[in-house]
Amino acid sequence: MLTIEAVKNQLKNKFGDAIKNFDDQLSTRLYVDIDRAGVRGMSNEVIGLGGRYLVSVGYDNIARDGTLGLIHTFSFDRDEMFVCLRTTAPVQDPVFDSITPDIPNAGWSEREYMDLLGMRFTGHPKPKRLILSDDWPEGVYPLRKEVPWNLMPPPAENVAYQLDECPEGCTVIPVGPFHPTLHEPAHFAVFVDGETIKGCDYRGFMVHRGIEKLCQTQVTYNEVPFIAERICGICGSVHATSYAQCVELAAGLKISRRAEFIRTIMLEIERMHSHLLWLGVAGHLIGFDTVFMQAWRVREAIMWFGEKLTGNRKTYGMIVVGGVRRDITPELADELRGVLTNIEKELMTIKNAIIGDTAIHRRTKGVGCITKEETMLWSLVGPVARARGVDIDARRDHPYAAYDEVKFDVPVLDSCDVWATVVVRILETFESIRIIRQALDKMPAGPIMAEFSEDVPPLRHAISAVEAPRGEVVHYLITGEENRPERWRVRAPTYPNLQGVPLMLLGNQFADLPIIIGSIDPCFSCTDRVIKVDMRSGEAVSVTGGELEKLSRAKLYAGR
Amino acid sequence: MWVTSKIKQVLLVLKPGVVTLRYPFEPHPVPKNFRGQPVWDHHKCIGCGGCAAHCPARTILIRDLCQDLRVMMYDGSRCTYCGRCADVCPEKAITMSEQYELATNDKNDITLSMELFMLTCQRCGRCYDMEKTNMIDKMGLKGFRYDNLEMRAVIHKATEHFDGNMIEESDRYRRPLKTGE
Amino acid sequence: MDILCIAVNIVAFLALAPLFEGVIRKITARVQSRQGPPITQPYYDILKLLGKQNLSAGNFAFRVAPMLALASILSVIAFMPLGFQPNYLTRYADVITIIYLLTMGGVACLLGALSSKNTYALMGSSREMITMIMVEPVLAMTFILGAVKEKSLGIDMAVFGTASGFGWSSLIMLAAYLMALQAFVGRQPFDIAEAEVEILEGPFIEYSGPNYALFRYYLMLKQMFYAALFVMVFIPFVKTGVYGADVLIQLALVSVVFVVIALIGSTNPRLRIDQAQKYYAVLIVISLVAVGLSVYGI
Repeated sequence: MLTIEAVKNQLKNKFGDAIKNFDDQLSTRLYVDIDRAGVRGMSNEVIGLGGRYLVSVGYDNIARDGTLGLIHTFSFDRDEMFVCLRTTAPVQDPVFDSITPDIPNAGWSEREYMDLLGMRFTGHPKPKRLILSDDWPEGVYPLRKEVPWNLMPPPAENVAYQLDECPEGCTVIPVGPFHPTLHEPAHFAVFVDGETIKGCDYRGFMVHRGIEKLCQTQVTYNEVPFIAERICGICGSVHATSYAQCVELAAGLKISRRAEFIRTIMLEIERMHSHLLWLGVAGHLIGFDTVFMQAWRVREAIMWFGEKLTGNRKTYGMIVVGGVRRDITPELADELRGVLTNIEKELMTIKNAIIGDTAIHRRTKGVGCITKEETMLWSLVGPVARARGVDIDARRDHPYAAYDEVKFDVPVLDSCDVWATVVVRILETFESIRIIRQALDKMPAGPIMAEFSEDVPPLRHAISAVEAPRGEVVHYLITGEENRPERWRVRAPTYPNLQGVPLMLLGNQFADLPIIIGSIDPCFSCTDRVIKVDMRSGEAVSVTGGELEKLSRAKLYAGR
Repeated sequence: MWVTSKIKQVLLVLKPGVVTLRYPFEPHPVPKNFRGQPVWDHHKCIGCGGCAAHCPARTILIRDLCQDLRVMMYDGSRCTYCGRCADVCPEKAITMSEQYELATNDKNDITLSMELFMLTCQRCGRCYDMEKTNMIDKMGLKGFRYDNLEMRAVIHKATEHFDGNMIEESDRYRRPLKTGE
Repeated sequence: MDILCIAVNIVAFLALAPLFEGVIRKITARVQSRQGPPITQPYYDILKLLGKQNLSAGNFAFRVAPMLALASILSVIAFMPLGFQPNYLTRYADVITIIYLLTMGGVACLLGALSSKNTYALMGSSREMITMIMVEPVLAMTFILGAVKEKSLGIDMAVFGTASGFGWSSLIMLAAYLMALQAFVGRQPFDIAEAEVEILEGPFIEYSGPNYALFRYYLMLKQMFYAALFVMVFIPFVKTGVYGADVLIQLALVSVVFVVIALIGSTNPRLRIDQAQKYYAVLIVISLVAVGLSVYGI
């Protein structure tokens, strides 16, 4: 069991002169201010001590001291700790060492800040555009404070993303941006040889909505949970909870125990809902529409209950900073127990019907295999990792809300394929039912909202992780003035998992592509982080159907 | 193994039968506490502007036409039916109705506009008292507001006294095309 | 009389094929706990498609492929002895012609797919080719079984001959045909080429409007043809001797076969093409065994 002291001593011994300051007010969070020269060495040291890379956060500090900040965050799963390495670079020379060669998962985070903040990373293997569209003007870095949040630069013509070169002997099959397999726009350029996949390049972020910029400039602390909830359709409460926990950690606010239990119940209801939805989607992707319809029929009961409890079938809107908005009355609790019993019975029937079905086995066993070492190298999270023997779960490793009081198992399998993800998700749904039952029994009486008697103090850092149905969600928050966050970074679980998809696709048949991409349960909206919820002028910012058709026809006639 | 799975699968569907609801031919009632479209009671509304300050979608707009008149417009096209306006209203003038069949091709069907006579009110925000229990639910902008109602745009500036120039400037609101605008 | 039979054949198939497709959809929907479209929905679909704009990829093969497919299946239907009554055309062709015409229908699909120059159509057509190559032998063996028994390649001889003296070879052939039925009609678990809306849009991706209506009609007729062939070849027991009653009884049995197709289709996922290939190889071996047994008169 590593303690914070042990980590501090280890880092001090090896990198004493690069470290400027330690900040460990909370016993589970260690913030280390370091010199930018030591970034790569210290990151490797933290990984060597047993850390797992989470996400990098870049922020604009130009107005205060003329620097751009960069934070690398790591999690110690067995020791219930987060370690964040904070470093800065002057804005005239925003160059950092890239940690991607050692930690492949940092590739996207660093590319993101190359696009959004103008940083440069020496030694990055693929410094291409990630987030911004290819006709975005050079030199305009949206996350910098000087750029207005509703900037609309004029579009450019004939600019396209340069995908990777196709290897010898292969053809390129474009899967996307519109494809029935994917539920959201994304582009996988798949290189196939006959039917075998030999490689893949990914271009996404087509639904990047600019939430982080919006929430840093326009909305206040208590409006952000509603925007956070809409980062993803299915795992909305997770983002709202994680954000609220960040603010509560930063402000040093303790919320009532009843509110924590209600948050737990909402999160588990969402997990059940999401896994049932995924079961249906997986069935649909292998061509088995009956599983799809039946799983969604069972899911309907949860949505009706959600409507009774929260006022809406999905996007519950229950969680705000300081607690929850609505209470669970005893009648609702009894109804929830009834709903759970029904769902458990139906899910058992579905599970018995498909667990022995060799036709489904043939489509999912042995498909999408990667080893446990590769999974850990690429820092994959969620059921994708648990199906490959990596035992991580944010509910058990970094307990939050009421998870320290409920008992549950974390299913971990090691057959390393898509079938294991199916089984892991079904088992997790049964665990969720257990958790909700325990939470309903143990929930104490009390208020549901804590009260804030003073403003949230500015410039405090906080990091919080919550287990979404797809994996671990990490939010990093720096509180700011004017009652809004100064910097808010959302890392959805699909962000690292998508980086592992090209690895999972290698060597498989093309017909397995949908189920492999589906097995990570991709939520591209979570990854891309939202379309602008802005006060647009009467003109549409997103192109309407009519305009699109006009554009397409204009291009067609121009070509003739 | 396979055959028994198939038989189980067919039996699985015999119990629930057909679950199709005949909506819209048969109405489907919603439970109480459903969050449908918000409805303002103009008798109770005091024009404090708390709902506009806390709408995450910025779909409630306020425009002070002069010292006496405040126009509050709810533009339902961006409303997410979250219910925060109903939560923070100090007079409980907003209720979330049970209306959810709101599709229309005319924006005015879902727009609500109130003109409130506020002769001596200095728009200081004292009538909005939610700050007493929750400091982070305080009103950010206090004073006279000049949102652009035609383009449904919030102008993030408030003045202590009514300013005619601001009204004219807000009429000319446009999105910036370059950094620094 | 014989010429009337041809007309009855064509009219019955043209009129009832969409109805049976509707039956499949309705049963699939019921298995999925939903109401499903009305049974006459495929008629409306075809009418709707006929009213749409006929976008074309430009070349001659693209435009002619659907007509070729429909023409080939209609010719096959015209030859079949429905209601145990060989018609005027039956003696002008033999089973080899039937096999050729059916293959021509499949080739017309491929022609249409390849002429559209779309990557997805290319992949779909390669899968369709593999399916055709491996599944047509089973059909051929069905006819050859009857031909071997009756020592004649005539259509009526072969069709009625398979079940005469219902022995082991006929039973094995029945099993093989049933196992291949899903592949013939292109439904789960073998709808790998055509209806793969998730993985590939299939060989018909570039087709729309009247061209696509013709292809859809071709697929429906092909489906009904295979079901009717099963009934004609393997269920000769119910024979009243009256032509009209025989036709009606056979159509009723065809609808039973469709119910089976729908049930199997809705309770199975789609297989991959390499897995399906292994399955077809086994089927070819079984049907060869059946033909071999029939040579020895078993």
